[in-house]
Amino acid sequence: MLNNKNGGDKMGDIFRIYLKMHAGAPCRPVVNVGDEVRRGQLIAEPQGLGAKIHTSVDGKVVVVNERYIEIEAYKVQTDEYVKIKECDSIWEYAYEAGIVGAGGAGFPTYIKLQSKLNGGYVIANCVECEPILHHNIYLIEKEPEKIVRGIKYAMQSTGASKGYIAIKGKNQKAIERLKEAIKDSDNIEIKMLPDMYPMGEERAIIHEIFGKWLEPTQLPLDANCVVLNTETLYNLTEAVENRKPVIDKDVTVAGKLVNGLGPHVMLRVPIGTSIKKLIEKCGGIDGEYGEVIIGGPYTGKAEELEESFVTKVSGGAIVTIPLPEFKGKIGLLVCACGADEARLRDIASKMKAEVVGVTKCKNVVEVRGTNKCLTPGDCPGQAQAVMYLKKQGAERILVANCNDCTNTVMGCAPKLNIPVYHHVDHALRTMDMPIPRRLPIDKK
Amino acid sequence: MSMSAEKAQKLLNEPAIVCCRTEEGTIISADNLEDPEIFPDLIDSGLLTIPADCLKVGEVLGAKLLKTIDALTPLTPDLLEGVKATSVKNESKLDVNAKAVLKVNKKANEIITEKDLENPINFEKLEDSLLIKLTDEVLTVGEVLGKKLAKDVPALTPVKADMLEGYVAPAVEEVQQVSGIMPQSTGTLKIKIAEGKGIDIEIPLFAPQAVPAVQKKNEVVALKNDLVEKTEVQAKKEEKVEEKVVRKLIRKHYKITDVKFGPETKIEGTVLYIREDICKDALKVDHLVKDIKIDIITPDKYNTYSETIMDVQPIATKEKDCKLGTGVTRVLDGVIVMVTGTDEKGVQIGEFGSSEGILEENIMWNRPGAPDKGEIFIKTQVVIAEGTNMERVGPLAAHKATDYITQEIRDALKKLDDSLVVETEELVQKRRPGKKKVVIVKEIMGQGAMHDNIILPVEPVGVLGGKPNVDLGNVPVVLSPLEVLDGGIHALTCIGPASKECSRHYFREPLVIEAMNDPEIDLCGVVFVGSPQINSEKFYVSERLGMLIETMDVDGAIVTTEGFGNNHIDFASHIEQIGMRGVPVVGMSFCAVQGALVVGNEYMKYMVDLNKSEQGIENEVLACNTLCKEDAIRALAMLKTVMAGEEVKAPERQWNPNVKENNLELIEKAYNTKIERVENETSIPMSQKRLEKYSTK
Repeated sequence: MLNNKNGGDKMGDIFRIYLKMHAGAPCRPVVNVGDEVRRGQLIAEPQGLGAKIHTSVDGKVVVVNERYIEIEAYKVQTDEYVKIKECDSIWEYAYEAGIVGAGGAGFPTYIKLQSKLNGGYVIANCVECEPILHHNIYLIEKEPEKIVRGIKYAMQSTGASKGYIAIKGKNQKAIERLKEAIKDSDNIEIKMLPDMYPMGEERAIIHEIFGKWLEPTQLPLDANCVVLNTETLYNLTEAVENRKPVIDKDVTVAGKLVNGLGPHVMLRVPIGTSIKKLIEKCGGIDGEYGEVIIGGPYTGKAEELEESFVTKVSGGAIVTIPLPEFKGKIGLLVCACGADEARLRDIASKMKAEVVGVTKCKNVVEVRGTNKCLTPGDCPGQAQAVMYLKKQGAERILVANCNDCTNTVMGCAPKLNIPVYHHVDHALRTMDMPIPRRLPIDKK
Repeated sequence: MSMSAEKAQKLLNEPAIVCCRTEEGTIISADNLEDPEIFPDLIDSGLLTIPADCLKVGEVLGAKLLKTIDALTPLTPDLLEGVKATSVKNESKLDVNAKAVLKVNKKANEIITEKDLENPINFEKLEDSLLIKLTDEVLTVGEVLGKKLAKDVPALTPVKADMLEGYVAPAVEEVQQVSGIMPQSTGTLKIKIAEGKGIDIEIPLFAPQAVPAVQKKNEVVALKNDLVEKTEVQAKKEEKVEEKVVRKLIRKHYKITDVKFGPETKIEGTVLYIREDICKDALKVDHLVKDIKIDIITPDKYNTYSETIMDVQPIATKEKDCKLGTGVTRVLDGVIVMVTGTDEKGVQIGEFGSSEGILEENIMWNRPGAPDKGEIFIKTQVVIAEGTNMERVGPLAAHKATDYITQEIRDALKKLDDSLVVETEELVQKRRPGKKKVVIVKEIMGQGAMHDNIILPVEPVGVLGGKPNVDLGNVPVVLSPLEVLDGGIHALTCIGPASKECSRHYFREPLVIEAMNDPEIDLCGVVFVGSPQINSEKFYVSERLGMLIETMDVDGAIVTTEGFGNNHIDFASHIEQIGMRGVPVVGMSFCAVQGALVVGNEYMKYMVDLNKSEQGIENEVLACNTLCKEDAIRALAMLKTVMAGEEVKAPERQWNPNVKENNLELIEKAYNTKIERVENETSIPMSQKRLEKYSTK
């Protein structure tokens, strides 16, 4: 929102920084309206589970409420920032810098780094399995050394004896760069994973590497591991070496944009930047569009452009084509790895369809307020769910499953004469990318 | 190396990377930008990564650099001020022949544009999901672009005629489809049809009477071409330019079911008798022949061992005083002559691979140059003087000795009367003035040593009367298509078996047959040019080829070659000589994982790969990677596309067997035919040699 409220030509855009960009409770503001702040300065403190929040721009605080702080940025910005204080331990740097899991969950990293692994493992999650999103891989190709140093800091902090870099085998260039970067370390190894969704889910990675399934209620710690996202590790290195707080986010912008489908990777976008501005940088939206998904196609949610701002955990902005109209009866198959019921209903209503039945995959377990899968990426069978929806009168179904379950659905729904939509279709079709249906025999 | 301003204009959509260290404040021009042609190599060597937000050449020209950057730095928006906001949309990749399915919801009276249509990559999945059904009624992209919808249509609906405003009856639609697909000879026809506006435009060409009841699509286009060649527009369909018959060749086929030894060489009914002591005389033909014996290989003996196969030859003879390439030829069906051999020390007569072993493990049946499964082989096994396998005289001796035997059979064949003829074939060479004039250039081996050919013997695949192309200095020699098909080339080449064109290959040359019988083109002749050993000679010969092509005033050329490696130098040069004279040229060769081209030039844009092996290698299976009908069809389709000014997509960086399959499917769709795919080495038993050498799994 371009807003020259005070009429002064020093003033520029509004940056909205949400007080809850992490797992836990919203932070408490420590600034007031009218305060002048400098990039990197602390503006909110955690209350209970949470992480420190800093401003990403030099400017003046114009709004403070329970949900967010808005800062009107000065027209002239620099890359410099207020450094965090010097710390005695690595986890303290993470705490001072306000690092949270950048892959989407937003769990405060300083807590993870205090785990005592006693010779266990640090796993760098470089899987980036949401299709279309590309900023993690792009960062790895550009600055692999910083990420590897982040892994080493994490290993040091947790007492891990080995580091695994989990990355999809198809990302050859990134793998080559990483190989170069770890060549002098004998305790970091690259593990190549198949190109499946949701290969990047923590427990899926652990299953792929160690062969065992953690219960949805368990944490990686129960397998003697700590899993950290690519960007989180990068932020850790920045915090330890350059005393930089988390004030920037890597974002992938893609879809119906004037400058092309993309993906357009934007590294180090100041947190609080309006998504609208990012889209404008790509030439703006090209004509009619369906929705703007914040996040990836599988787990992202649609947001109103006017209310959308970059947070510590928003990695994607996808402008999709309009959803295909189906003015008929539709059944919804909810999955833990993809869309939840609210999201599926959102999509169904945009399709102008009438929802006659909703069911959950039998592997869905609710844990601490979110849906989790018993065996993410490994299908337990979907015939029951599909038949249930048909009995409820569904003429077509909309599914939200991972690749393996979608494959199973395709084994029964067409036979029952039920056409199948997947909730990521419209995002992938926008990008001229293949939609998920059956799996080829060779998953790799 | 930076680019010239003109080149930059042609490459506005390529990534913009600076070629050298560039100072802050520089206004970017073509001089500062690296030539995109070398990007693939730089990327492969890890010297360059192109980021997702890298700008394009067209966007950076004229912009100011905000900070000093090093060589090979991609230009991203943060580095520049004043970037041109050229709307760099993804180039339209929609194939006009793909089915039209709406991508977005549209309302009545809205026009269908390219952005509204679904990308075919997901068609299979969408059909599998029962969301769309692509029947014949569904129109193509070319047919719906620019059309107005008669009613509201939601996304993911295949577009059918009844959805469009004012759509005309199917009969004309078919014509449209044909014209849209067939290469046109001038811009006017092409543009109208491709944009799907043809129907509404009053050009007499499209008036119903200009088009005969569309049965043979080829004919329709032939007509259109003719009409366009004349500058006035004719509405009558009888306006067909005359074809001229130049010469004919009659082939009388005699069936042989049995081959035995007997007191004399003769043919009785369907039994061929070979004189028992014939080898004694064959031995005397050349002093270098130390031993020769004949094995009669019937199908039950296909699993026996053989020395390397040097040649496969039809048994054919001219009737009375007919000259090769015209008149009447008699040919035996069901039997072939196979020349095999070693030198005295047991060294196989072959270079770059050999096909000795169990016959059925080393022969790709039914290739033009190979035996057909079920045929009887009259297999000579010749032993030549030690060390002469690598000299011209050695293999020639083996062939001459074998030919002695074949000639006795030919003489017996001449004596037969017509009662034994099972089939009479008439091969006709026509000229088609008014059609695009095409020449075929076949590069054959001419390095000497054991790489040699005999051109135009008196008898089909004979020896007497023929001249080795090496002795002719390898300069271009023109043969009529019928001279080629009548055994005008006797192949002595000893290159790797998989891509080797044996004598029989020329007798059944698929490209010559397809081109000769193609009413859409005017095949004027076949030029043979040998490949010399020495580089300077290669270019001497190639330049003569170029001058010959220049005088022929052709509209298009196809250059083929057997083998790979050394001869690719000439191959590339021939294509350059032809291409630089403004003639569209298609190249055909074995170029896969092995055989990848290491020389090239800007005219080698249209290439057809002859590989059929699973792994893209010289697998030493006789004729596996030789030119077959499916290759001929592809090459002709590609040449016609280029001659019509249409686009042929650039090849991929690495060998990808799917490219061939895609092309064949495209052609099948366009001509509404089925093209049989030939088999490869996976259809014959695996030899121990192949197992050891080539298995990777």
